Amino acid sequence: METQVKEIIARVLNVDLALITNELSSGDIPEWDSVGNLAIISTIEQELELEFPLEDLFDLTSVQSIVDEVNSLKS
Amino acid sequence: MIGATHSPLLCDIARNAVESPDKTALVDGQCRVSYSQLISRVEAAALYLQSMGLKPGDRILLSAQKEAQFVYLYLAAHLLGVVNVVTDSASPRERLDYIISVTGPAVLFGNGLDVPGRRCVPLDAVPLEATAGEIAIPALTSDAVADVMFTTGTTGAPKGVLLSHANIIGSARNTNGFIGTCSSDIEALALPLSHSFGLGRLRCVLIAGATLVLVNNFANLKTFFTVIETEHVTGFGMVPAVWQYIKRLSGKRIARFADQLRYIEIGSAALPESDKRLLIEMFPTTRLCMHYGLTEASRALFAEFHENIDNLNAVGRPASPLVEVCVRDEDGTPVPDGTDGEICVRGNMVTHSYYLPDDNVDAFFGEWFRTGDWGHRAANGDFYLTGRKKELINIGGEKVSPVTIEQAIKSIGIPDCACIAAQDPNGVLGEVPKAFLVRGDSTLDFDDIKRQLTQLLPPNEIPVLWEWVDSIPRTTSGKIQRLKLK
Repeated sequence: METQVKEIIARVLNVDLALITNELSSGDIPEWDSVGNLAIISTIEQELELEFPLEDLFDLTSVQSIVDEVNSLKS
Repeated sequence: MIGATHSPLLCDIARNAVESPDKTALVDGQCRVSYSQLISRVEAAALYLQSMGLKPGDRILLSAQKEAQFVYLYLAAHLLGVVNVVTDSASPRERLDYIISVTGPAVLFGNGLDVPGRRCVPLDAVPLEATAGEIAIPALTSDAVADVMFTTGTTGAPKGVLLSHANIIGSARNTNGFIGTCSSDIEALALPLSHSFGLGRLRCVLIAGATLVLVNNFANLKTFFTVIETEHVTGFGMVPAVWQYIKRLSGKRIARFADQLRYIEIGSAALPESDKRLLIEMFPTTRLCMHYGLTEASRALFAEFHENIDNLNAVGRPASPLVEVCVRDEDGTPVPDGTDGEICVRGNMVTHSYYLPDDNVDAFFGEWFRTGDWGHRAANGDFYLTGRKKELINIGGEKVSPVTIEQAIKSIGIPDCACIAAQDPNGVLGEVPKAFLVRGDSTLDFDDIKRQLTQLLPPNEIPVLWEWVDSIPRTTSGKIQRLKLK
């Protein structure tokens, strides 16, 4: 699941997959701005067929936190 | 900087450095820069630019990255009379190539810039310590061009806007006069520096002798809120799209800073009245200042929500006594209050020309800049907008704003939409409205929508052509790009 999430983030932001490390956070690179963040959220929801709870969105600030949330919702 | 009389912006910052040399001017991550350090680093950058052979009137391209080095270079160019061509670091290559071909910059500054045949220098190559030498202050007046900003283009190709040193200081002083930013303020700047709004905030803070905290962007709201808390931030600027983002991702968490935030500046696109009321409720003592302006005429009108609580649809009144706004017909004749026409502006912050002379055609009525926005002035002096002139739909001779139709469609439960002019398929009316709708959770079909609109709009304003789309194209600041819809 981690690889899938990273591939989606790289594709949505149109950046090299190698840039998408677990530590990378929203805002760290110019491409991951507020518009990019919304696109990441909606693309993951659509492609992985899940829905992030509204109250969790505030905490989804890094690649790792998104991977953890997806794993938790899919388990 | 003594002697740089062509740049009142630099003179104001230098004055702050004399009066409060140890006061923090900039915070960039762990780096804190005092006003005296800011001056010495600007001078170091100026000597570096001078050593590259740059002369007054030469252009440099500055890729706007949220770093202190950008600020030093930006101000250093002003000191030498070199013109900044400010671009977005995430500009598509096609746009960047166009800007380079039009302006012919001698050097391109920006991290990761690589343009074949051009001298490219990363921002961090600019020295922070001055080398030996003396800065040659140019013999210019404040009417000399300081910056070239390219419009984001809701209509047509990007236009290079020439802004003089007088224009940029005029806008900053008008803005501070209205909002009240002062030396005790600490502002978080998460807006892009490549846009008139963000770069304008930088100037406002530095001439006030306040502290500017650079934040990459609004994407990570946790970081933004931490900055507000730890740096004791008292103000920030945002566009309406960011407000929607803050609401969606963080609910009302930001309200916990209501007591410390003295002001929020909002601008660049329209904000629904319901959001203005929500902000008033969440920030009962914060000055909520919404501007209307363009790159060509930065911050022409201002409205403060608490003061305008009974009149939140108005876009405001002139930003200062040095700004004049009027409404004119297509011949340039002023129209009476209450009559729609083109909003025109003149004043200390209004550009005198575009970079390409051809772009000046139909851009001015004498000294008055034609905004291309349609609206009217009420008898009490408040201005109202009804749409973009070029986007008005000419239905059988009657010009209708797409915004009116869009508001009606959204009021019946369609989450997002945009209307444009289309040729009347029956060849009778000339133009008719065409609507692009985002379905969202709505279960309505076109016939349902048309039926409901008959209660809200005159028959000729009900769209004739309809299309479902996944999303409405918008600029980064949230304006609908109607020209992308066909």
